[in-house]
Amino acid sequence: MKLRHARRLDFTGAIGDFDQFEQFGQPVMDLLRTEARSPLVIVVDHGYGFASGNDQPHIVLDHLNLSGDNPLVGPNDPIGQRFPVVNDIYIGAADTVDQEETWSIGHPLGKLRNGIAAGVKQGQKLTDDQLKTCHELGSHFYCYNLVPTMIVAAHAGLKVLGIIVPEGQKLDAKVLTAIAR
Amino acid sequence: MPNLNKTAEKSSAEAVAMIQSALKSSPFAQTKPVAAVVLGSGVSVLDNLPDQVVINFKDVFGMAPGVVGHSGTLTVGRLRPRDERSVAVLRGRFHLYEGYAWDAVTLAARTVVEWGLPNLLLTNAAGGLNQKYAVGDLMVLTGYRDHLSLKWKEESLIPAVQAKSEPIKNALTDMLIAAGQKLHQEDPQFRALQAGVYAGLLGPSYETMAEIEMLRKLQADAVGMSTVPEILSCVGSNTTAAAVSVITNVWSEDVAMGGHEEVLEASKAASQRLDKLFRQVLSQL
Repeated sequence: MKLRHARRLDFTGAIGDFDQFEQFGQPVMDLLRTEARSPLVIVVDHGYGFASGNDQPHIVLDHLNLSGDNPLVGPNDPIGQRFPVVNDIYIGAADTVDQEETWSIGHPLGKLRNGIAAGVKQGQKLTDDQLKTCHELGSHFYCYNLVPTMIVAAHAGLKVLGIIVPEGQKLDAKVLTAIAR
Repeated sequence: MPNLNKTAEKSSAEAVAMIQSALKSSPFAQTKPVAAVVLGSGVSVLDNLPDQVVINFKDVFGMAPGVVGHSGTLTVGRLRPRDERSVAVLRGRFHLYEGYAWDAVTLAARTVVEWGLPNLLLTNAAGGLNQKYAVGDLMVLTGYRDHLSLKWKEESLIPAVQAKSEPIKNALTDMLIAAGQKLHQEDPQFRALQAGVYAGLLGPSYETMAEIEMLRKLQADAVGMSTVPEILSCVGSNTTAAAVSVITNVWSEDVAMGGHEEVLEASKAASQRLDKLFRQVLSQL
């Protein structure tokens, strides 16, 4: 899948040429529901609660929605089905390798780790006990914005390249170059 | 953002008064049904009851369900011709994912309680998590997980996933299981019932594979988007609630998940067995 023309949303405030959002909300939903040239959306969000030694950027391959909420609650927007299937929405690095430009700089996306995100309530800081539960149930870190964004994207028929960056870290310049190309 | 808090248009007392008014000149004016039955997506049982009186949800509750597969009617009728006893069948329900508030989602169950009916049979269409299940199986709920209450919106879902499932132990559930065993013994074509734990999730999006694996670790056997609010509405009341899930798909990484149409189709096929099961149980009440 080509990264070119994908919608680019950044919740970390660190990527200049992405659409910037402080947090998920109606403006994000509106953006995802506008017509675009690509069926792909790239989402970069901060992640927290990584297991020791794993606090580095990850590509998200799946999620647990533990927020207690769902952005599609309410009347159904006619852009998608009332009950959207949200499997196989996240794309991995392997899905982007058809781009020669990416290979020419060493396919930096393929060097990121893969992980499962737990989406929690905005601003919630998990206790050690809660974090342990999340890890036992299959997630590798938690975040605030990626999961509702993915659900709305899936409902709108989009695929998502989700990248989680630990707070205080930045994405490698080569990853950004690969996305920019 | 859309309005996510559509509150109930009427109180349960007003709904009961509406029902009693509608039944005033019917054969059911003086007696209460022995049970109410709530039918979920595509589940069709107890059709064409003798002497039935059909009332629209809009008239009873002031609102009508907006989901395909829910007709939105309350029917009161006899189980058999000349049977003194009657049953009430509610075709459809209101869901949190539609944006209804808790009082609206529980209005039908609270009306059954307010009306003083002793039994409430709930049905739903559910995804199978237990890999021993097959599409079209009927699962009697012996427990439930509450992953949809509005309090989780405030607290996040983590306390819910840390909690154990709540058991459902009552005479009506035992009757369903016994009736299922009897029907299976009499007719091997009648599939043996499953019994397990139902996880009620908010929806409306279906679960991710990671969520399916999580629910399996939590020992849930089926997953859906309803029923738990109605069960909770009967706790501490004189109405005994029991529930049956129609398994409309079994989650597997190897099988693509269908949509709501698949749910409706599987519900239709299982409805005949569910009809037999309910008639067996209701005839004993």
